[in-house]
Amino acid sequence: MAGLELLSDQGYRVDGRKAGELRKIQARMGVFAQADGSAYIEQGNTKALAVVYGPHEIRGSRSKTLHDRAVVNCQYSMATFSTGERKRRPHGDRKSTEMTLHLKQTFEAAILTQLYPRSQIDIYVQILQADGGNYCTCVNAATLAIIDAGIPMRDYVCACSAGFIEDTPLADLSYVEEAAGGPQLALALLPKSDQIALLEMNSRLHEDHLERVMDAATKACKDVYAVLDQAVKEHLQEVSAMLGDRGMA
Amino acid sequence: MAAGFKTVEPLEYYRKFLKESCRPDGRELTQFRTTTINIGSITTADGSALAKLGNCTVICGIKAEFAAPLADTPSKGYIVPNVELTPLCSSRFRPGPPGEEAQMASQFIADVIDNSQMILKEDLCISSGKLVWVLYCDFICLDYDGNLLDTCVCALVAALRNVRLPAVKINEDTGLAEVNLKTTSPLKILKHPIATSFAVFDDTFLLVDPTGEEESLATGLLTIVMDEDERLCSIRKPGGSALSPEKLQECISRAITRHKEVQSLVNEVLESVKSEK
Repeated sequence: MAGLELLSDQGYRVDGRKAGELRKIQARMGVFAQADGSAYIEQGNTKALAVVYGPHEIRGSRSKTLHDRAVVNCQYSMATFSTGERKRRPHGDRKSTEMTLHLKQTFEAAILTQLYPRSQIDIYVQILQADGGNYCTCVNAATLAIIDAGIPMRDYVCACSAGFIEDTPLADLSYVEEAAGGPQLALALLPKSDQIALLEMNSRLHEDHLERVMDAATKACKDVYAVLDQAVKEHLQEVSAMLGDRGMA
Repeated sequence: MAAGFKTVEPLEYYRKFLKESCRPDGRELTQFRTTTINIGSITTADGSALAKLGNCTVICGIKAEFAAPLADTPSKGYIVPNVELTPLCSSRFRPGPPGEEAQMASQFIADVIDNSQMILKEDLCISSGKLVWVLYCDFICLDYDGNLLDTCVCALVAALRNVRLPAVKINEDTGLAEVNLKTTSPLKILKHPIATSFAVFDDTFLLVDPTGEEESLATGLLTIVMDEDERLCSIRKPGGSALSPEKLQECISRAITRHKEVQSLVNEVLESVKSEK
């Protein structure tokens, strides 16, 4: 088979990364004025936007109200122009619904929902450009948006994908690597406590290899954590500098 | 104190400012918010642009696709605009099928494209009666803060200028289309329509580029679309307070100067994008 060589003999991937290397992550918090919290993140060519509203009163049917904790409401949508082929339905198809559910499950595990009984937290994520690792990018964007909204969480939620090609675990798969159809694992981790918020694996992988792939994904998540934490600190410094100026005037 | 006054009597709060010919955000009545345009940021789209008027943010992505032409216009392509107002941009929108405001905006943009004749639909024809281009222009509002139409039209003009279509040839033998991705060409854009919106307060004050708050308090709204030859492409005044012809004339002259401002901004951004490459 004269397919694309995903890993060269020298150990480099299609885009020139090493096996355990992440794509470049750029993040910004507090990008919008309307929302309670917002963040924009780029992981390589995947670009995602997350917006958080709440906690606020339950909207719509009151029967959803939980008396001991907050309801987490998510919506994942992909821009029609985010993929190579134009997407007909930006949200509401099965793939998006599954992704919405995954995000909801992830963040119900991380947000301290019991602090806000009888209320609702909305998380909306939008993929503007897709190049692999959509779920992971969305989780990272949503984490930053929740921090921006000031909603308490157990820990950051950091997500990263990992694959297994030619006996080597690869971190943070791009679209080309995802499309090759090898085993693929998405991991959302609470990095400080090493707790797994969500883990999903597609395709087949021998049990003996699982540990190595998991290790690669865990390491990648911790690398993501370092970048996100840096972004949060920089944002806080900017904000406090601005407040400081105002205080002097 | 001022914040309390604003909450209890928002209209009275605004009137106090308008009497002094200024607005709570520090603008004059004829002043636009800071306009920013970013072109070509989405590489998966055939053309894209992000437009920002103050806080109001709209991203436009254009995807070109093949389609069979309609039977009565065999040599015309088509352009399909679609505006999305998701709950992401403001808590006033609910998830689900597009609401009235989104559909109204989509139709308004479709009308602007048709009325202004900015693109000759014949230019989108690949093979008469067989194959034409369809340009899907999708607008996603990312942050909603009034004056959606102006922002969308800005994004549309900027994104269309960013579009590059590949060369397509129809193979005589097989009848199939052959796409050459190496040679791409820009669209031929004949006119650049630009929208300018106003809010009417108490039948007397005209505020250009209203924010979301101003829109909800205003007694009337007015949108004027103008091209570079100072020809009107569209005037939209959805009910509200009556407007005298003199006032309308004032608005039209403001729209003319606004067109020049936006046109030079778009050119400037396109230049900077080119020089980066």
